[in-house]
Amino acid sequence: MGEPINDVALAHFLLTGGLLFVLGMIGFLIRRNLIIMFLCTELMFQGVAVTLVAFSKFHLDVSGQTFVIFVLTIAAAEAALALGLVVLLFRSKHTLDAEAWGELNG
Amino acid sequence: MAVETLKFLPWIPLLGAVLCAICCTSPALRRLAGAICVLSVASALALALGVYFGPQSQAALSGTTVHALRWIDVHSFSAGFSYYIDGLTMIMLFVVTGIGALIALYATGYMKGDRGYARFFFGVCLFIFAMTTLVMADSLVLLYLGWEGVGLCSYLLIGYYYDKPFAVEAAKKAFIVNRIGDLGFALGIFLTWTTFDTVSLHEAIEKARHILEHGGEITTAMQCIPFLLMAGAFGKSAQFPLYVWLPDAMAGPTPVSALIHAATMVTSGVFMIARLIPIFELSTYALPVVAIIGTFTALLAATIALTNNDLKGVFAYSTVSQLGYMFLGVGVLSTTGGIFHLFTHAFFKALLFLTAGSVMHALAGQLDIRTMGGLRKRMPVTCWLMFAGCLALAGVPPFSGFVSKDMILHDALARGLHGEPLFFVLAIAGLFTALLTAYYTFRLWFRVFMGPERFEMGEEHGHDEHAAHDEHASGGHGPHEMPWWPMNLPLVVLAIGAIAAGILAEYVGGEHGWMHTMIEHSTASVEHEFHGELFGLSLHSVMVVLSLLIAALGIGTAAYLHWLRRDAAGVLEQKFAPLVKLLVNKYYVDELYDLAIVRPLRGCGKFFNLIDDYLIQGFLVQIVGGWGPRLVGYVLKPSQSGRLQSYGVGMAVGVVIVMVILIFKLTGN
Amino acid sequence: MPVDPPLLLYLGSALGAAALLMLMPQAGRGVRLLGTLLGAVTLGGVWLVLYRQYAAGYGLKMEAGALPFYYVFSAVAVGSAVAVIASRKPVHAALWFIMVVLASAGLFLTLTAEFMAFAMIIIYGGAILVTYMFVIMLAASSGDPEHGEDLPDYDRHWRSPAAAVLCGFLLLAVLLSFAFEGRSPAPGSNQMSDQQIIDNVLTNRSEKRLAESLAPALSPADLAKMNEVAGSQQQLNNVERVGLDLFEGHPLGLELAGVILTVSLVGAVVIVRLPVGREGTVDHG
Repeated sequence: MGEPINDVALAHFLLTGGLLFVLGMIGFLIRRNLIIMFLCTELMFQGVAVTLVAFSKFHLDVSGQTFVIFVLTIAAAEAALALGLVVLLFRSKHTLDAEAWGELNG
Repeated sequence: MAVETLKFLPWIPLLGAVLCAICCTSPALRRLAGAICVLSVASALALALGVYFGPQSQAALSGTTVHALRWIDVHSFSAGFSYYIDGLTMIMLFVVTGIGALIALYATGYMKGDRGYARFFFGVCLFIFAMTTLVMADSLVLLYLGWEGVGLCSYLLIGYYYDKPFAVEAAKKAFIVNRIGDLGFALGIFLTWTTFDTVSLHEAIEKARHILEHGGEITTAMQCIPFLLMAGAFGKSAQFPLYVWLPDAMAGPTPVSALIHAATMVTSGVFMIARLIPIFELSTYALPVVAIIGTFTALLAATIALTNNDLKGVFAYSTVSQLGYMFLGVGVLSTTGGIFHLFTHAFFKALLFLTAGSVMHALAGQLDIRTMGGLRKRMPVTCWLMFAGCLALAGVPPFSGFVSKDMILHDALARGLHGEPLFFVLAIAGLFTALLTAYYTFRLWFRVFMGPERFEMGEEHGHDEHAAHDEHASGGHGPHEMPWWPMNLPLVVLAIGAIAAGILAEYVGGEHGWMHTMIEHSTASVEHEFHGELFGLSLHSVMVVLSLLIAALGIGTAAYLHWLRRDAAGVLEQKFAPLVKLLVNKYYVDELYDLAIVRPLRGCGKFFNLIDDYLIQGFLVQIVGGWGPRLVGYVLKPSQSGRLQSYGVGMAVGVVIVMVILIFKLTGN
Repeated sequence: MPVDPPLLLYLGSALGAAALLMLMPQAGRGVRLLGTLLGAVTLGGVWLVLYRQYAAGYGLKMEAGALPFYYVFSAVAVGSAVAVIASRKPVHAALWFIMVVLASAGLFLTLTAEFMAFAMIIIYGGAILVTYMFVIMLAASSGDPEHGEDLPDYDRHWRSPAAAVLCGFLLLAVLLSFAFEGRSPAPGSNQMSDQQIIDNVLTNRSEKRLAESLAPALSPADLAKMNEVAGSQQQLNNVERVGLDLFEGHPLGLELAGVILTVSLVGAVVIVRLPVGREGTVDHG
């Protein structure tokens, strides 16, 4: 695994990871297109993956990378289901607007 | 057959019950139910007979425990399906399965064409299962299971005509009144467990015997047990003050009245006391109380029966009265007499009920004896069968009712003459009751079968339509004799029992007769011998003479008033109008219970209903439970906008808040 | 210490939030350009200040020569991420997302996580994004022709951007004030060195075990040579370490992942086959 990175270098990677995560979150909140919303959740996954790999290098513990594999698995499963749902929703309302599905309001 | 095979006995009727239940599901199968029931009960009888006559030592039949199934096994407490086989068990098994099989056979004819044919036989099979469990049980808990099982079957069969309100009422009444007694019984079982550390019958009895014979401390708890158990016995066996359910129980089909409410179930209280007689002996007062209550009930019920005009009602009260005799029997420690009377009573009372059922059947449900008369020409077989039963009930020597009743009264009188005046009084009361019994029994018989012929058909037309009576229906409307098969033939068997069972059981088999030998080899055996002399004659001879005189007096009066000079009966009725009114209204006991118990309880119920309506429904449900959540919902409703991203913002804000709190926590340290 | 890192990061977060808000699709072209510039300057500024603060004294220790690549890949990743959320067309967003994936794969390479880097490109950039592309094509919706727009309304407007951006960057600030606290590495207690793993787990590759097993048959000279070879350090590559950790350390997780994938596969098939009613409702059955 080579030499570890130090804490300042780790903090830089956390900065990048955090930015990706937060940008994904913001995207999820502001975009109204269902496809892009799910794309933004993938962006959040990217941020998490960067953070995990950086910590793996910092602690020289390969488990961090293993967990990225699990994240990838879940992302793949989520993409399959979410996109299936998006197709279904689009077929029934012919729109990708998330606000078209507000019938469960209080 | 070995004694062990008896452990299969209760399960045969249960199998029959299951098959009958299956038969309920389809109309095509329904007619099979009767045959299944008769066969299963008859095979149970065959098994019992096979074991009795099987090549086993007599010792095996005088106290063997047979284990069938484990049931409850917790620490030191164990109550399994284990059966205790002794002479008493065998007598009860013969009565239950033998009489049961005959009545079931009769019922296949009686119930034919009825809508609930299979349901009826399901109830009967289940009843036989519960009853055999009851009489065979070795553990008190199993006995209680059978006890409640017969109660349940009784409830189901009294309420058999569930579309008739009075039947439903009667079923509920029987069930609730029995609950009162059963509470006592259950408490008695609990107390037995805490006192004797066992619920096994034979172990508890052994311990009680040990205390009785070798002396030992008799604690207050031990003295309480019999009184608690007694409550159960009085409830189940319809003794004062819990007898009120039995007359109403006649709302069930007549074979049920014969089987459950005359021959078997109602005698289980007597059986239980006889079974546990050593435990009852622990208390000085328990058995005298049993005797007093029994005699009092016998007298009370006999007087009510004097004026009752309901065909089955007379027999119902006479059952209560005869049960009183049995309690008198076990109460004076004459367990042989008590069980003997139980045995003979099963024959003649089943016979009487079934013949009454035949009359009722022929008259399409008519029960009022004032509308009947001279039916002997139309129903000769029924007439003479019932005559045999009446003679037995009236205690005419040498019919079976006389032999057993005589034994009870003789033992009571003997104890009375030996310096226990209480029992002397009870014996005299018993003799007086015998007079009343002879009168009211023959009053009914003369009314129905003698005198000028007259009848009014009842309102049930269903019976005339079915196939079994097609050949009789051609004779036009009117009462007709029952067919020999399957109805009259079982009655003949019962009649033979009613005539001869007493003599046979008293004088055949063993030194002191079969009954005596059987009881001696059971937990009910007592070591008292009663002999006495009166007027220089042996008490036995005196009793025979007395009984004959009393029966003759009673029958003679009945014949005069209700056959030869019916108008005289009316005059007499006029003369004693207030007394008659009191009797016709059954001493207003039902009304008294209604006033003293039912109404206050109903008042309580109304009060609590008000609380339910206003406090719980009104305040808690309507206001606290209704408006509260609505208010909260109104406040929180806008947050559920239905927009996905609003929820996302909520989540994000939550995460931020948590993180901020975390930062302050971490940097604070 | 010229600048306190948290303060710098808070400032950077605030500026970043402002820059992102300027990138709203409702805004004009000039404003959006200005926003892009502001964002780039903010990120560059933060990095510059941090570099000046740490590189001189404390050091910013990475793999040899990896630091420039960190800046390049991070900049590409962050820039592409902004483009993902700011592009109007879903197709563009998906393409930008591929850039994010490629850039974070580059970041993984600077962290010597080669397997993860290529797995990321193959699975994310290849499989998942192709799925997205398919769906975007399937669900392509035409815009509002009356207004001469080829994009539907919901792609031309953000909803409540200010609240979301504020919330997001507040979270970022909070997160980063954690990130720049000094911390020391805590390797997993059950982590073995490469040599230990080879000797104990992958015994068929162990020279030492080989030497031991061959010892009786070898001449003393050969044995000495063998021992010399066995003494040298052997190393596992990244794929081997990840594979070992995955199969040795997380077998249950692996199985569960398989189950989840199967379930989602079946679920996706079921969902897509559901019939859709006339009034836009889903018929069950």
